[in-house]
Amino acid sequence: MVLESREATKTYGRKTAVDHVSLELEAGFVYAMLGPNGSGKTTWMKMAAGLVKPNSGGILYQNQPIGIESKKEIAYMSTEPYFYSWMTVADVGKYYEDFFDDFSMEKYHQLITSMELTEDMRAKKLSSGMMAKLKIAVTMARKAKIYLLDEPLNGIDLLARDEIMRTILASIEPDVTMVISSHLIDELERVADAVLFMKEGHLIRQCMVEELRISQHKSVADLYREIYGHGGEAVC
Amino acid sequence: MLKLMKYEFRKTAFSKLILLCITMVVEIVYLLGVFLKKDNLLFIGIMLLTLCATAGILYIGLESINVLQRDLNTKQSYMLFLTPRSSYQILGAKILENGISILLTGVFFAVLAVIDIAVGNYKELWDMLYRFLDMNMNISIDPWMIAFNFFSALAGWITCIVSADLAVILSASVLAGKKASGIIAFIIFIILTTILGMGMDMLPELNSIELTFALDIAVSFLAAAIFYLISGWIMDKKLSV
Repeated sequence: MVLESREATKTYGRKTAVDHVSLELEAGFVYAMLGPNGSGKTTWMKMAAGLVKPNSGGILYQNQPIGIESKKEIAYMSTEPYFYSWMTVADVGKYYEDFFDDFSMEKYHQLITSMELTEDMRAKKLSSGMMAKLKIAVTMARKAKIYLLDEPLNGIDLLARDEIMRTILASIEPDVTMVISSHLIDELERVADAVLFMKEGHLIRQCMVEELRISQHKSVADLYREIYGHGGEAVC
Repeated sequence: MLKLMKYEFRKTAFSKLILLCITMVVEIVYLLGVFLKKDNLLFIGIMLLTLCATAGILYIGLESINVLQRDLNTKQSYMLFLTPRSSYQILGAKILENGISILLTGVFFAVLAVIDIAVGNYKELWDMLYRFLDMNMNISIDPWMIAFNFFSALAGWITCIVSADLAVILSASVLAGKKASGIIAFIIFIILTTILGMGMDMLPELNSIELTFALDIAVSFLAAAIFYLISGWIMDKKLSV
């Protein structure tokens, strides 16, 4: 087990965004984190990335609380743009190179070239599709142990989506764990080993994709419809 | 830490460049007044240089509070808090960069003033003012005292900024999502600066004026250090971005 969430809970005022979520993530697996908007996916990822502090419970990376050491090995890609307004594509790479020992400028250059980005482009002037590519490029240019990708395909056209999925898949290694959240279930089903279903701040289901196909003859999309479409009680 | 400071400087580099450009223009006005012996240009130059110095030093401090507020309350915060750096390092880099900027700006304008006085050949005027104050008002102008006064004011301003940082951090963490968090944070800032001011007033007068000023500066920096430690602790334990 590489990452463990122990009863992690986060509230904002009266709203509980993540409610006693416990789960264990293994190295070498790709996890699809699914759920409708407001189900707690983003908040949980932010807690794992060390951006959000839980009110109770916690998240452990290699049995240690999330902190400086975990940030060295966990790469998080937010769904929102977050670069400084003055930054160019080159500045973004330099910033990551300055702060992350696992960042490869060579890989970053390869990725931005393949994604048709140029170094002199201003980050704040990029379209949403180009911004998504930049976020993916700078995140995947790290050789992290865990990648947390929050809606990497949000608002992206089909061709760009393929490019981004190729980039993500190229980073899969036996000792690397990925957690990807997306509304595009079909895209994730092709790459995910396991699925985590979130609803109203709770982790309500988790199952292995292959097992689901073989033993229950269901796709992830089928199960998603059962869980969220009818409020059903599907069993993995 | 140095890398964090580099990016803190980058965030405010543009406004510092603007301040430098304005100062250069005003300095040219002053020098034209000196060399063309135009009293009106000279007067405008002196007034605007004084304004640049005071407004510039004030603005650099205020801008740092604004940057901190943006770094805690917008998505930009991810740039800082995803890095493997502690809250103390992140905040320390901000405070150090800003403190050094304020001090260097102060030194820059002080040096510029000395040069301008020399260029304008105002030694006679300066001596006259010195004698006038000494004889009529019993105020003795000592360059050391001016320097101490100046740095004491800068130290006080830096401490004021750090206490404002603490209020901003409280607003973004402990008070986040609560009604009137901004007003509460502002009240906390007023209380902190009032207590600090009262504390400074209670400091004893030492044997020499230099020692008294040195004590003032030391206490200011001690208060800034205490505010910094409290702020860092709050960020470490309570801040979610």
